[in-house]
Amino acid sequence: MELLLEKIRDRIKVNFDLKDSKFNMNERRIDLYIDKKSISSILFYLKEQMGFKHLMHASVVDWLEEGELEVIFLLWAPKEKISVFVKTRLDRENAKMDNLDMIWPQLNTYEREFKEMYGIEFEGLEAPDEFILEDWDGPPPMRRDFDTAAFAKDVYSERTGREDAKDVRETIAKRSGEEIPDFAKKYSR
Amino acid sequence: MYYDKTQDRLTEIIKNFARKHSLWILAYGTGCGAIEVPATMTSRYDAERLGVRGAATPRQADVLLITGYLTVKTLKRVIRVYEQMQDPKYVIGFGSCAINGGMYWDSYNTIKQLDLYLPVDVYISGCMPRPEAVLQGFGKLQSLIKEGKADGARKYKDELDYYRGNQQKIIKNWDFPDYNW
Amino acid sequence: METILINILGAIATFLLAFVVGMTYGGLRRKVIARIQNRYGPPFYQNFIDAFKLYSKNTAIHHGAMHFLGPAFLMVSSVVALMIVPVLTDNQWFPNLNFHGDLIFLIYIMTFGPLGMALGAGQTGNPNSAIGITRGLSQMVGFEIPWVMALVALMIEHHTTSLVDLLNYQTQTGTWLIFENPLAFIAAILASLGMFRYSPFNIVGAPTELASGPVSENGGKFLFVMMSSGSVFAFVKLTLLVDIFLGGAGNLIILLVKTFIIYMIPVTYGAVNPRYRTEQAVQYFWGWPLIFGFAAIIYAMYF
Repeated sequence: MELLLEKIRDRIKVNFDLKDSKFNMNERRIDLYIDKKSISSILFYLKEQMGFKHLMHASVVDWLEEGELEVIFLLWAPKEKISVFVKTRLDRENAKMDNLDMIWPQLNTYEREFKEMYGIEFEGLEAPDEFILEDWDGPPPMRRDFDTAAFAKDVYSERTGREDAKDVRETIAKRSGEEIPDFAKKYSR
Repeated sequence: MYYDKTQDRLTEIIKNFARKHSLWILAYGTGCGAIEVPATMTSRYDAERLGVRGAATPRQADVLLITGYLTVKTLKRVIRVYEQMQDPKYVIGFGSCAINGGMYWDSYNTIKQLDLYLPVDVYISGCMPRPEAVLQGFGKLQSLIKEGKADGARKYKDELDYYRGNQQKIIKNWDFPDYNW
Repeated sequence: METILINILGAIATFLLAFVVGMTYGGLRRKVIARIQNRYGPPFYQNFIDAFKLYSKNTAIHHGAMHFLGPAFLMVSSVVALMIVPVLTDNQWFPNLNFHGDLIFLIYIMTFGPLGMALGAGQTGNPNSAIGITRGLSQMVGFEIPWVMALVALMIEHHTTSLVDLLNYQTQTGTWLIFENPLAFIAAILASLGMFRYSPFNIVGAPTELASGPVSENGGKFLFVMMSSGSVFAFVKLTLLVDIFLGGAGNLIILLVKTFIIYMIPVTYGAVNPRYRTEQAVQYFWGWPLIFGFAAIIYAMYF
């Protein structure tokens, strides 16, 4: 199987410019790190010519320290039973990509999710404005620099009385002056 | 007694007896706790002996079960549904998400305290509450009705400004009609 | 003057009897279905509690004046049908305003109610009500035909269109019409499965299918009127079947026993059957019940 993976890697390297590649023998996959401008041609080539017909998933990783967003496409070849992960990096301040849903139609939904949750703009995407969150005008929620606990504390008021977060049984027993029965004592912290 | 002091006690006693023995639940599962409601209605933990039945539309229902978390999107629809019900009407909050946010205590889109937006009569704790706990919650609601203290509908009408203020603070796109029935 | 007073009091007594018996039968139906499903059910007086709770709702929301037509027409149709059907034989406390052609009038007045409900439901503007009403009226096309055929077979056999004549025939000869023309009885019972609108023909008011159809915008006192008119109408249908086929009843106990026995047929059939779609229901009614109706007419004409 190592030969097969190396063959794939060499073919891609000859036809496109490949930044890096990694093999993973246990999971039968190869990771390809490519540049943003050649992504649609590589995806077309992998789908039509190399047999990676099935898009398993598309995902985004937020590298906060390096200031980049990484978009990952997970493909699968049903005949050889090998998967390939295609990874590109985008700039965090100015995240733009081309619309890719003419290759696989389900990428329309994935791109709507990325636009709402990470703030990545896709040029040429035809979709309504909102996806899941209704009337949302805050920062994109899935980015790592968005502190959800502080945001929730700010906008929604919490119910008072649980700030110390002690054991529930002891707190209620102390408040109402009762005794914890014997059979329940072994469940307290 | 229940909010009409001019009526005599006997009428109120009979009316409260009828109201507490025939609670019609609106068949609307607002969150993941709704999976315990069919289990309560089936043969093992029969809820129909208490007169509890499923009703199809808000116009026919008495009780609104807020089963679980409420996002801002669902809260808008739930408020609209609550205003369409006819009084006397009751709200039961299921699960820990209705009490203080539950396991979504740090989420950016769910509300943490249901009491600010709708008048709640009974809370049932658990995640999810078991059918025995649900039946106990209905028993608590029945005893509240019998004493005449289950007047969430009157509280909503009297303190409408308070509830509306809280609702408009988190619902930004306010396109509700003017009437509140 | 005295007879008019007795008639009016008797009419009120008939209505109260129909209301109480109809509601009790509704509660007993829930109990029987619960026991079939291996659980305890609500108490048998549950329908009274439901009705009283609906009556004591403090606000009632309506959508204009025509919205009142729905429950009003239903109640009017049930009460008029109740006044025609003889409840007990030879009893001056339950008068019936019968006349010569009253079987045909009864067939007409029993279909009058849902038409009025269609007007009321159309006024609300709810699309669920409109769909429910069209389904209900199409289903009515299904079961009306075997029902009318059964009644026509009886009318041909005894050369009369009056209910009281059929009753008198049964008391005079001592045999019940169920034994004289059993095919008509079978056709009428199969048609009455659709008239009661229990499972499998309850797609009209199904709560999960289309948000309970025509009833969807009615709450509070409207629903109370609809529920009580449904119970009164059930009593009317049962008494009609008992009068035509089982020889009427001399006193109240025998009437209750006979109506309960006939009532158990739709209830138990409905407790174990799933729901038909509208076209399946109409196909069912134009199948075997129609054949039994034809056979009843031919039997009445030549035997």
